[in-house]
Amino acid sequence: MAGFSMRPCGDFRTTYRQDTRIFDTTYVRNAAILGIVAVALIPFVLDGYYVNLFIQISYFAIAALGLNILVGFTGQISLGHAAFFGFGAFASAWINNMTGIPVLLSIPLAGLMTAAVGMLFGLPAARIKGLYLAIATLAAQFILEDFFARADWFTGGSYGAAANPINVFGYEILDDFSFFYVALFFLVVMYLLGTNLMRTRDGRAFVAVRDHYLSAEIMGINLTKYRLMSFAISSFYAGVGGAMYGHYLGFVSAEGFTILLSIQFLGMIIIGGLGSVKGTLMGTVFMVLLPEVMESGVSALSIFEWANSTAVTDGLAYIKEMAIGLAIILFLIFEPDGLAHRWKQIRAYWKLYPFSY
Amino acid sequence: MKTSKGDVVMKRLIAATAMVATGLSFSAAKADEVFVGHLMDITGATGFIGKFYADGVRDALSYINTHGGIDGTVLDSESVDYAYKVPQAIANYKKWRSRNNMVAMQGWGTGDTEALISFVAQDEVPVYSASYSGHLTDPTAKNPKTAKPAPYNFFYGASYSDACRAMVQWAAEDWKQSGGSGKPIFSHIGDNHPYPNAPKEACAEYATELGFEVTAPVVVSMKPGDFKAQCLTMKEAGTNYGYLGNLGPSVVSLVKSCDTVGATPKWLANIWAGDYETLKTIGDVENYVFPAMTSFWTDEGVPGMDLVREISKMSDSSGSEFRTHHYIRGICSAYYMKEAMEWAKANGGITGANIKAGMYARQMWVPKGLEGVCMEATWTAEDHRGINTVNIYNGSAKGGDVTVKKITTVTLPRRDDWLGY
Repeated sequence: MAGFSMRPCGDFRTTYRQDTRIFDTTYVRNAAILGIVAVALIPFVLDGYYVNLFIQISYFAIAALGLNILVGFTGQISLGHAAFFGFGAFASAWINNMTGIPVLLSIPLAGLMTAAVGMLFGLPAARIKGLYLAIATLAAQFILEDFFARADWFTGGSYGAAANPINVFGYEILDDFSFFYVALFFLVVMYLLGTNLMRTRDGRAFVAVRDHYLSAEIMGINLTKYRLMSFAISSFYAGVGGAMYGHYLGFVSAEGFTILLSIQFLGMIIIGGLGSVKGTLMGTVFMVLLPEVMESGVSALSIFEWANSTAVTDGLAYIKEMAIGLAIILFLIFEPDGLAHRWKQIRAYWKLYPFSY
Repeated sequence: MKTSKGDVVMKRLIAATAMVATGLSFSAAKADEVFVGHLMDITGATGFIGKFYADGVRDALSYINTHGGIDGTVLDSESVDYAYKVPQAIANYKKWRSRNNMVAMQGWGTGDTEALISFVAQDEVPVYSASYSGHLTDPTAKNPKTAKPAPYNFFYGASYSDACRAMVQWAAEDWKQSGGSGKPIFSHIGDNHPYPNAPKEACAEYATELGFEVTAPVVVSMKPGDFKAQCLTMKEAGTNYGYLGNLGPSVVSLVKSCDTVGATPKWLANIWAGDYETLKTIGDVENYVFPAMTSFWTDEGVPGMDLVREISKMSDSSGSEFRTHHYIRGICSAYYMKEAMEWAKANGGITGANIKAGMYARQMWVPKGLEGVCMEATWTAEDHRGINTVNIYNGSAKGGDVTVKKITTVTLPRRDDWLGY
């Protein structure tokens, strides 16, 4: 509903083309561009801590968008997203180390490799769905995790793999300040691609498969093809996000890509809003910042004398972990449609202010 | 209504952030002060053992601070529980780096240590981890096998590989003395994860060199469970010496499962699996061999233990709490850093690069006041194997009564092909 009320009076659509514009109104488009420019100024205004948080948000957000395409747009499920994220990280390091292909190119190549692996593990989706598919993708998580620890030639086994820094025209990107812009570039490009995907024939087919697969099939949509394609695109995004993560850290260890991270990815898209590109970004921001906000809350307490004993600090550490869980639960109860929905409501509220009825 | 609620939350957030920021800017304003970050895991996946070590580091840092700091320079520190989540470890590192001007860090496990290798090398921040992976010991990548040199990573203790090698060397002697015939059989038992895997190849190679027959590694989950199947595999293979790569509850259930099916090799535990608490939980076990890098809480007549007991009072004023040797190892880790910082202060100021140089300034050194507690250690610019001597203990438990005896001390050669591996 809010979507319609956003449009200025007299601005109506006469062609389908107009109906699928990325930005609803010129104002929204300008705001988005201004937003990106404002974000680009972050390193000049805020300190390294915020820059790092933004970089974390960008690689997680890219991977989370992939998962949202699979879960939110196509209605499939994956519990192995972290494994694909990890595969991308190892693949990019491997491509770069073995062939000398520049890092900037090996990141999308790693995405393609991950897409192939994702399709392989997405094969069961042709036959099964729902909880059964969830378990089948869980296999991907465990198989790949084991593969990371064993495949010495590819991942360096338990020693991990070294990943070179990104090199742009001979200039090595070593510090967070410059990596920030690489991350921003990838984030914008991948999100534009994601938004555009949903305006294409294939994107509409994804949504049709999600909404009612039988009707979709009757309409001539090849279910197997689109489910597999969704797995491939989803893994491509995971691979690109993972590759950025690997080159950012400079080192990829087999330890970081557990099922917990997979579930965190699911948390990001559920909190942000299933089936919303914008929501994915919001959900990622929420999941990355929540522990940090809790942490600063805990350290803010340290100005009080009573909060400085070991017993209290340890107690607070537990409370912090529980509070993160609690915040997520409360969020799901009070905003089950995700942050994207809340954002729409806030906008509608201000748009119609003060006469909301 | 809804937005106003959001407003309140936002205001609180801003207030909290402002409080943190002002707190930090105060500390930055003080002239003679250095900051050391401390990452610990007390609530996460490795919290079972992380808590003991973290307490040691934390108590030592606050003891140093209340007793003169670094030759008069105030040692500011913050201990943050990152719950073994790598992104949070990175964020904290970046925060300390950009806001507190951190000069050195006390870290914890494989996850955070490895994720930070590149950053700390670039920022020149020495990290003292409790991850004893052999591949952190080759700072200049002298050994071609080293994937990623870690020039700013230090740890106090023998690497997992060296500790395992030392135990295998002892086992070879033990086999002869106990009159075993034929080749003794050695198995690596652990999860397929970086931490249990760290010494797998290195130790198996040395075991083969010493005349052991090495079986295929036995994979046992890091989470506790019923491991009788794995135990039967070992029984069938006739394992005489089994290296335990996991820690805590997983090791407890493994040893118990094996006891049930009658597979009772001599256990060679890695350092995190060998302590009083673990033995007590197992309840009934014999020949549980493990390495230690410090004296024990109950040892008497060790001069340095007085200081350890004083440090322990920082969080336990009664002085009655029992401390594991992980706790004491945490103290050693903090004190080697402290003395390197003192050297740095006298030689150009407390910066990361000077602290690193301070680590190389002396040979076979023990921090002052901890004689007999920490072992003599030597770090050089090309070799970060601080310690190549391993004290080996034999633990046993009967009905929950634990006895631990020292059996030998093994000094390993600093072989070039073992560097970083």
